[in-house]
Amino acid sequence: MIQTVAWVVSLIFMTLIAVVFGVVALKSQGRRDYEPIKKKWYKARSFYAITLVIVMLAVTIYTLRDLPYNQPVYSEGQEPTVVDVEALQFGWDISQTEFKVGEPIEFDVTSKDVNHGFGIYDEDMNLLAQTQAMPEYTNTVYITFDEPGTYEILCLEYCGLAHHIMTATIEVTE
Amino acid sequence: MTTTTIRARERKSENNQIVTYLIVGGAIIFVMMIFGILMLLAQGGALDVSPAAFYQFLTIHGTGMIGAAALAAASVMWYFLREYVDLSKKIFIANLVLFLIGVVMVIVGVFSFEYASSWTFLYPLPALSGGAWGTIGALLYLFGMLILGVGFLLLFIDTGRAIIKKYGSLGKGLGWDVISGKKSEEDAPPKAVIASTMVTIVNVTALLAGATVLIMNIINVINPAFTFDPLLAKNLTYAFGHIFANSIIYMAVIAVYEILPRYANRPWKANKVFLIAWTMSTVFTLLIYTHHMLMDSVMPTWMLIMGQALSYANGLPVLIVTAYGALMIVYRSGIKWDVASGLIFISMFGWVVGVVPAIIDATIVVNHVMHNTKWVPGHFHMYMALGACAMLFGFMYFLAKEDSAIKPNLLDKIGLIGFTLGVLSLSGSFLVSGALSTPRRWATHIPEWMGPALFGAVAGVLMTISLAIFIIHFIRYVRERDYVPRDEEGKKIA
Repeated sequence: MIQTVAWVVSLIFMTLIAVVFGVVALKSQGRRDYEPIKKKWYKARSFYAITLVIVMLAVTIYTLRDLPYNQPVYSEGQEPTVVDVEALQFGWDISQTEFKVGEPIEFDVTSKDVNHGFGIYDEDMNLLAQTQAMPEYTNTVYITFDEPGTYEILCLEYCGLAHHIMTATIEVTE
Repeated sequence: MTTTTIRARERKSENNQIVTYLIVGGAIIFVMMIFGILMLLAQGGALDVSPAAFYQFLTIHGTGMIGAAALAAASVMWYFLREYVDLSKKIFIANLVLFLIGVVMVIVGVFSFEYASSWTFLYPLPALSGGAWGTIGALLYLFGMLILGVGFLLLFIDTGRAIIKKYGSLGKGLGWDVISGKKSEEDAPPKAVIASTMVTIVNVTALLAGATVLIMNIINVINPAFTFDPLLAKNLTYAFGHIFANSIIYMAVIAVYEILPRYANRPWKANKVFLIAWTMSTVFTLLIYTHHMLMDSVMPTWMLIMGQALSYANGLPVLIVTAYGALMIVYRSGIKWDVASGLIFISMFGWVVGVVPAIIDATIVVNHVMHNTKWVPGHFHMYMALGACAMLFGFMYFLAKEDSAIKPNLLDKIGLIGFTLGVLSLSGSFLVSGALSTPRRWATHIPEWMGPALFGAVAGVLMTISLAIFIIHFIRYVRERDYVPRDEEGKKIA
């Protein structure tokens, strides 16, 4: 799950940063001449900077390979079920709400009034995918459900006082 | 009367304005923290708050925090920048007056007329509230924000004017003549000037974008027949909000550049790498607002890819130059630790540590399942509260030390520890909530989401108590600063 990866990676790097700051704070006393420190750590900085740039480039290229904006590659002859979604204060007008496991779906999402967010949650309330619902525009989000169950649609863009009760359900069967 | 005496008096008078900025900023941040706690308690199921009240708290919390922190950060920038360029005190005072007028209008709009669009006021929400608020509330808020923005715009036009007058151009303020080799590194502008130039450029842009979208919304509220493009409005809103909020840290970091070397008794001069880093920050800060729109697939894809790639790149200047430089300055320096230097050092940690979850959230595939969850306040509370605010509070202790005989006591040290632990706990609770897919800006939570919210509320209490300690110290300084013997330059006699 992406959320878990994001959390673990964040924790690792945040801990690393905390350790670096902690060590420097602990070694802040016992004054030494600054010139040799500058010389040594500027050299180290070049290595650190190059490493950081390379890592960032690699992660950028890796994570940009497969964007959620693009239609996934389906098996030959398979076309997604196109579902029209219209958000309005404070509910969802969804053209189809029952699907099969493994059925590729394309949600075309717009709004009748203000900005909303179309978030698809599984039964354990994990966010699986989302897109914005905006008046005059149609955003698209693709999903293929792997498990049967009742999935929830939650509004993920603040839209007014009943924002938090702007939910809907969709059913996925075998 | 000698010239030095006049200068000393002028300095004292200018410090009065700085002190007023900081007191107003600190007091508003304190009150906004209480609203934050109330929201978390409501989400945690421990407090019964109506949705209308919750979203009013949400609106005032976001608007107030950014406005107050920007005001206080502007005073930090002004305090150090005036050493190098000739700034207008009248404009500085005018900004404060306009800020206070704007704040009153926003407060009246939110609490008397129940306006609750959140700080984002995404078009056409101000006009289409579903019956929750009316035209007067919307206009009070939008005009209040506009007046507030005009004040800041005047301030940054003045800083730009003063920098151009002294250095020739904003490019030279960023040290481009040094980068190109026309001038030597020794002649590079001071760091306060470089940072102020960057902030001037990005904030004039941000405030113009903000004013445009505010005026468009105002016209739409008055006459709903006048409509405009929602995608353009969203771009303008986030261009304004992202840049203006981020500029707080770029203004406040001047305190780090100026204060840390004094405590460590080491020089921290601008070199070519430093100058290039600040030019990078200028460009990236202007461009990366699109990472707020990664879930708008109708945006040109190249803009969204740019949003991710440049958000990563925007981490480089702080990770490689500013934070690294701060660590080098402190390492084996024999630095004298007190509350001011402690907060300043912690602030660098807060900024850097907040960059990590921010960069991760700017990754499109992650944003697909993290956008508008509580992961977002998780990262920005780290670099805004433990980063920017710690810089501001560190500056307050520095000013008190420079300008009075007041000394921090044990309580102040406890405040420093409490604030640090409080922010880390609060941000941690938000990040956990985000990992649990908890949506942000929701008045109520399901039971699975309540635990971290309650934990965050307790952490918020710790932060608020700590800030109260900081403010009490600052008030003690303000009360006693008049009784400190000074020399003709206005510096205290030890």
